[in-house]
Amino acid sequence: MKAVLEVEHLVTSFPGVGRGKTVRAVNDVSIVLHSGEIVGLVGESGCGKSTLGRSIVGLEKPESGRVIFDGVDLGSLSGNRLRAARRAVQYVFQDPYASLNDRQTVGEAIDEALIIVGVASKAERSARIGQLLDQVGLASAVRDRFTRELSGGQRQRVAIARSLAVEPRVLICDEPVSALDLSIRAQVMNLFLDLRDQLGVACLFIAHDLALVRQAATRVYVMYLGKIVEGGGSDEVYGRPSHPYTQMLLASVPEADPMIERRRKIPLIKGEIPSPTNPPSGCFFRTRCPLAVGECARIEPPTIFLTPTHRIACRFANEIAQKSLTDA
Amino acid sequence: MQSIKAFAKAVAALPRAAVFTIGAFILLGLFAPYITPYDPNAQNLLMAGEGPSLAHWLGADHLGRDTLSRLIAAARTSLVGVCLVLLCAHSIGIVIGTIAGYRRGWTDEVLMRVVDVGQAIPSLIVSLAVIGIFGVSYWNMILALALAWWPSSARISRAVAVNVMNKPHMEALRVLGASPLRIYFVHLFPATLGAVLVYATADAGAVALAIATLSFLGLGIQPPTPEWGQMLVDALPYLEADPRQVILPGLTLTLAVVGFNILGEAVALNRVPKPLGARLVAARRRITASWATETRS
Repeated sequence: MKAVLEVEHLVTSFPGVGRGKTVRAVNDVSIVLHSGEIVGLVGESGCGKSTLGRSIVGLEKPESGRVIFDGVDLGSLSGNRLRAARRAVQYVFQDPYASLNDRQTVGEAIDEALIIVGVASKAERSARIGQLLDQVGLASAVRDRFTRELSGGQRQRVAIARSLAVEPRVLICDEPVSALDLSIRAQVMNLFLDLRDQLGVACLFIAHDLALVRQAATRVYVMYLGKIVEGGGSDEVYGRPSHPYTQMLLASVPEADPMIERRRKIPLIKGEIPSPTNPPSGCFFRTRCPLAVGECARIEPPTIFLTPTHRIACRFANEIAQKSLTDA
Repeated sequence: MQSIKAFAKAVAALPRAAVFTIGAFILLGLFAPYITPYDPNAQNLLMAGEGPSLAHWLGADHLGRDTLSRLIAAARTSLVGVCLVLLCAHSIGIVIGTIAGYRRGWTDEVLMRVVDVGQAIPSLIVSLAVIGIFGVSYWNMILALALAWWPSSARISRAVAVNVMNKPHMEALRVLGASPLRIYFVHLFPATLGAVLVYATADAGAVALAIATLSFLGLGIQPPTPEWGQMLVDALPYLEADPRQVILPGLTLTLAVVGFNILGEAVALNRVPKPLGARLVAARRRITASWATETRS
């Protein structure tokens, strides 16, 4: 499979509290997306997963690192050519109430995207709007409704249709269903699966809902304090989590069966997430890690590959994987 | 307690009173030439200093000019002046403010420091300086007041523009690859314009007062054009003999200024987009509902 989007050693910083202090929201992150796959990006609030997505589409300016789309380094482009290249990577926002202009009708919102990509004839645009609405499962009649008259799920569909108007190859979905009602979530999730199958769009699915990601994604990255701590196929990460953080994160998901859930002992992740302005030395997770040894404070953890696709940033990855095998 | 309630009720009714006051002011200003019972500049020395009568409802001034006619004509002078000043000031301010809000970075820094300097100098001093340099005339007064007023407009415009630019639907446009020209002219500028025009209402009172002040000092509107500040100056020598001549234009001016201020504030506070309004109401309901469950448990 060919990589459609590669992110190499991306660093994005914000000015932090205090003079000269910076927050490294994204700290040396490298990820790969292949066309036609859905990749999950999970982590707790404030770990930098949204910032990573925003840096990829250019809403935040990365400090260093490269974003390579289809073999072209986006950092080497500028002006119109950069805008045209970036267009192929679209962003689906979390809140469909804010990402659409209240004063536009559905038709106008999608029409504008079509004008931006230069579809000149009005008839052609009109036909395309109908086609796009159909693709996201909306009746053609909604095109004359104002976006503010629609429900959350409908608005998110309109936002997705607008993104599709520019014929993207990659969708960065930033918690696209967490603002929606539970009953609507499954429908919108299925829409993403359909789009992947029909259009071969690659999806980076940013979410904190681990079950949702497991259901949709073929591969998963786990992020902690601006770094990718574990990455691999969904079965690998969910089936054999080998970073202490991933293990705790997965353990915090409640069981569906209340009888089991009541008896279960949850190894809670102790403490707060450390301040990203002043991260711990060595391994960022060591302050909350049950396995931390003195060495963890001195040296950054090595990246261990359990399989060619399953990578873990922890020196104990092999031992943890071994233990979970014998436990099972 | 009862008196406090009555007072609160009166305050709540103020915006409505202000709407009527300003409505009357604008109507009188628009139709002044057709409404005035007499020519506001026609002198009749036999009538000089005459008090109210059936023919002259509010009496006449020291030159025998009908006071009612002059007050109405002055509303027109004031209305036109205020509109011109606000138009000029906001034209400069919105352009500067939206550019700063769109570009951010050093452009923003430089423009906002210029605005800081402009705001640090009291508007009356700026106006006096401009009139001192260019001389006394109607258009110089408009120019002077516009130059004194644009910094505050620029500051508001910039705040609104920054706010608009940070909205997710503007970010969505950037991700779609919209050109800077499209983002600025099709989306940012109209959105800012709408919001800033609301603040213009709040400024109108202050500008009306400034025009009257300059005219009072003899630096603004020149006689014989009827103007409230001008009328005050004319009547000043007769303050003790016939206070009516001072009180009437003073009262009218006060009504207009206070009316504009109350109206501006009311409009600014009520201006919530409709769907947001509905969501706020819904959120409010949720909060009150949670109170109910809390007290029960």
